[in-house]
Order: sequence, then structure tokens, then C-alpha cells
Amino acid sequence: MVSTALQIVADGLLLGMIYAVVGLGLSLLLGIMGIINVAHSAFIMLGAFFTLGMLEALHVDPIFSFALAVPLFFAVGALVFRLIIVRMERAEQNQGLVAMFGLMVLIENVGTIFWTTNTRVVTVAYSNVQLKLGLVSVPAVRVIAGALAAALIAAFWLFLNRSLIGRAIRAMAQNQDAAAAIGINVTRLSLVMFGLGIASAGAAGVVIAMVFPFAPQTQIEWLSWAFLIVILGGFGRVENTLAAGLLTGLIQTIATALMPFDYVYLLLYVALASVLVLRREGLRGVVRRTI
Amino acid sequence: MTGAAELRVADLHAGYVPGHPILRGVTIAARPGRVTVVLGPNGAGKSTMLRALAGYLSPLSGSISLGGTDITRLPSFRHIEEGIAFLPQGRSTFPDLTVGENIELGGWPLRGNHVRLRQALDRVFARYPTLAPLRDRPAGSLSGGQQRAVEIARLLMADPRVLLIDEPSVGLAPNIARQMYQELEAFRDEGRTILLVDQDVRSAIRIADYVYVLTSGKNDIEGDRSAFEGDLGTMVRRWLGV
Repeated sequence: MVSTALQIVADGLLLGMIYAVVGLGLSLLLGIMGIINVAHSAFIMLGAFFTLGMLEALHVDPIFSFALAVPLFFAVGALVFRLIIVRMERAEQNQGLVAMFGLMVLIENVGTIFWTTNTRVVTVAYSNVQLKLGLVSVPAVRVIAGALAAALIAAFWLFLNRSLIGRAIRAMAQNQDAAAAIGINVTRLSLVMFGLGIASAGAAGVVIAMVFPFAPQTQIEWLSWAFLIVILGGFGRVENTLAAGLLTGLIQTIATALMPFDYVYLLLYVALASVLVLRREGLRGVVRRTI
Repeated sequence: MTGAAELRVADLHAGYVPGHPILRGVTIAARPGRVTVVLGPNGAGKSTMLRALAGYLSPLSGSISLGGTDITRLPSFRHIEEGIAFLPQGRSTFPDLTVGENIELGGWPLRGNHVRLRQALDRVFARYPTLAPLRDRPAGSLSGGQQRAVEIARLLMADPRVLLIDEPSVGLAPNIARQMYQELEAFRDEGRTILLVDQDVRSAIRIADYVYVLTSGKNDIEGDRSAFEGDLGTMVRRWLGV
């Protein structure tokens, strides 16, 4: 009994770490920059195919791909910022959302052309290894994926809360004019933050590729998971996103153990609806500078 | 503070909407060690002028210079490097950051030099000892007066030679407002250039060395404090059109 409960908690926390890393970039871009990046999951999908490509073509282990994905996707994010976001800041309210939606559709379709709609899995030497830790037994690959996610989340928290640049980014989110008055180059730091948001999406894609099957069109499911995490945990705070991710993972594994599979999603969406009703905040607080 | 400098504005035209300039030829000078006050009725363009001087609004024509250097088109975030600090109207703390983090960010231009950043922090906390016990509290949890003190402390981190101040006493209790004006006088006595835009005509004139009045985006009258002290009532009545 105890070991079953521990097993469920362990599985839930490992799954929750993955959810947290999936929601991280969406939450931060929304909370800090007021950008509803609906293309978030498209970059997650690119991260997953990056992992697959590196493994198949160059025999690079996903753990190394994870480390490579962060700077690579940061650069991609910086490019998207320069090409799209900067222009959208001057445009009408909802055009930014439409632009990001367009980008999502573009990436998914280009992905389908390149990789077809076939579902892929990443298989490595440790894919079928089970780790026994006391009373629980967990797949090694999930432990590694969870650890990578945890490392990324911790790095983001440290950056935003403990470094002067991170504080400047948060300051910019709270009062852009005052930030400029003390010498903060808002455009440059916005580029950094957007790059980091996309970097976290790419890294989340690597984590997902290690654990789940994926195809270009599955990205939309990840978008709904990311939004679920963001709505549960609120936006702009790393620690809340982590908590929301872990909670979602736990709800899912506990519910799966107790009830038929079909009801699990029902329960999650009841939780989501409750949060929306109780907090009544929804996404409204953010539509300050919606792009 | 490195080298006092005179801020000069010549025939400035600026506005937010094309074809509708708010400033239509403003010329003023603010000298070091002086409090220069800009007054005027609502809508005269006082705040717009200050925002143009701080780089938030690109002038349509005219020029702004500091100590002979042209800064007309300098972006807002570069002003502090030139020694120009701007205190906008209303609250401008970063509410979710602590008092200590707010003030430390005022030293953003010093970020490459840890020793100088540390020294600046020590200097500012020594000057405003009442802020020290509040250091770890979120700035948003403080009273209006305390937040104003945080803003002033943050502004002093970069040791500016020019201070652009917009309506410093709005929303403050009278005794806090009085302290605010005393602090502006202290900055003046340190040789800084103070350009103050204010609705609180009486308080502003009390600390003014020189006064400009704007109406409808243009210079109206100007003069030393003495020229204004006696006749405030007439001036204000004229703005109100009574």
C-alpha cells in the first residue's frame, strides 16, 4: 500500500516536472512581456525533432542535445523577436496574437513537410532501464528528463531572482518607463527575455522527446497542457509554474490510479475551471500590451 | 557627479499625434545649482516637455542640449549615462521587487563595476537611513511617502547632475511633500541642475530660483522667484480665465 502510494507520487512528480518545463516559457513571456506566445508549442515540437535529428544523424545523446538546444533556440527566439515581435509592438492590439498563431501554423506545416505526420520515438541505451529507489521503481529516462527540467527551472529562477539582469527584466515588466529612466535598454532586454522563452520551449521539446512519442501535429496538445499550467499557476513566476506543473502531474497519476482513464482529463479540467472561477483573473490581467 | 552642466531647450516642438503638436516652440534653460520651475495651466505641455527632455518623445523640431552636447534624439535609456535622471509623475517603483532591489537597480549604469555599485548603495542608504529597515520588503507594500523615498534613493544611485522632476508632491501627505521640496533644495545646494514641473505653484515657487510659465505649448512669461512671489493670485486666475 505504502509502496503503491509512493510509486504514484514519484511518477506524478516526474511527470509534473515535464509539465512545469512545458509551461515555463509560456508563463514567463505572458507575465513579463505580455506576449501570448501561441507558437510556444511549435518550438517545443522543433526541440523534439532537433533531439531526434541529432540522435539519428550524429548519434548525439539527448542530454547533450538539451545543452545545445538552449543556446540554439535562444538564437531562434532572438531572430523571431527581431523579425516579428518588434514590428508587432507598433501594431494594433491583437495583431501580435495573430502573427504568433500564423507562425505556429507555419512551423507545424513545414514540420509536416519535412518529417511527415508519422509518430516518432527517441530510443537510447537507457530507454528501457528501470531505476529502483527504495520502494519505488521509475524509468531512468524519466528521472533524467525530470532532472534536466528541474535544472532548467532552477536556472531560470536563479537568473530572474538573483541576478541584476534578471531583476532588471522583472523591473521592466513592472514599469517600462521607470526602467528606461534608470538606464535599462528595454528593447535589448526584451530580446533577451523572448530568446529565453523560446530557449525554454526548445529545451522542453528535448525533454518531451526523451519521454513521449511525438509528431508535428501533437504540438497542439502540448500547447493546451502549457496553457493549463499557466492558468493554474498564474504567469510570470517560475516558482508558481513549477508548483502548477507538479500539481498537474500528481493529479494525473493519482486520478489514473483511482478512476477510469477517461475521467482523468475531466478532473483536470474541473480543476482548471475551479481556478478560473475562484481567481477570476484568467488571462485578463495580462492584456496590458497583448502581442 | 561629474561636471555640472546647463540644460538648454531651444524652440522645441513635440507631440504624440502627427499634425497636433503639444509643444509649439518652448525655449528654456536650467542652470547648475539652481531650481528651475516650469508652471502653467493644465494642458500647457509641461509634462510633455519633460517627457521630450527625458527621451520618451522624439521632438518634431528644435533642440535639447546638455553642457553643449546635443541630446535632442537621445533614447530614454541613454539619458542616465549623460547624468540626466527623470522622476516621472505618480508611482514609479517596481512594486514586486524589494526596496533593496529597487535601489540597487538605480545603479544599473554601474553594473560592470561591483565596487562602485556597492559604494553607491552604501552612500544612498547612509543618506536615507529610514529605508534601511525596509530593505527586504516589496516596494509595493510601502506607503506613498516611503515609495517616493525609494524612488529618490534609486535616482541618486547614478549620482545624476540633472534632475527632471514631474509633479513631485501629487498624492503625498503635506508633511511628506514638504520634505520632498526640502530634498530638492538639498540637491540644488549640491550643485545639481533641477528642472521642476509642478501644479503646486506655491511650493514650487518657494524653492525656485527661476520660473518659466508655459501656456498652450509656448513660453509665456518668465523671471526670478521675486517676480512671481507677490502676484501668484493674478497669474493663477488668468490661467483659469476668471
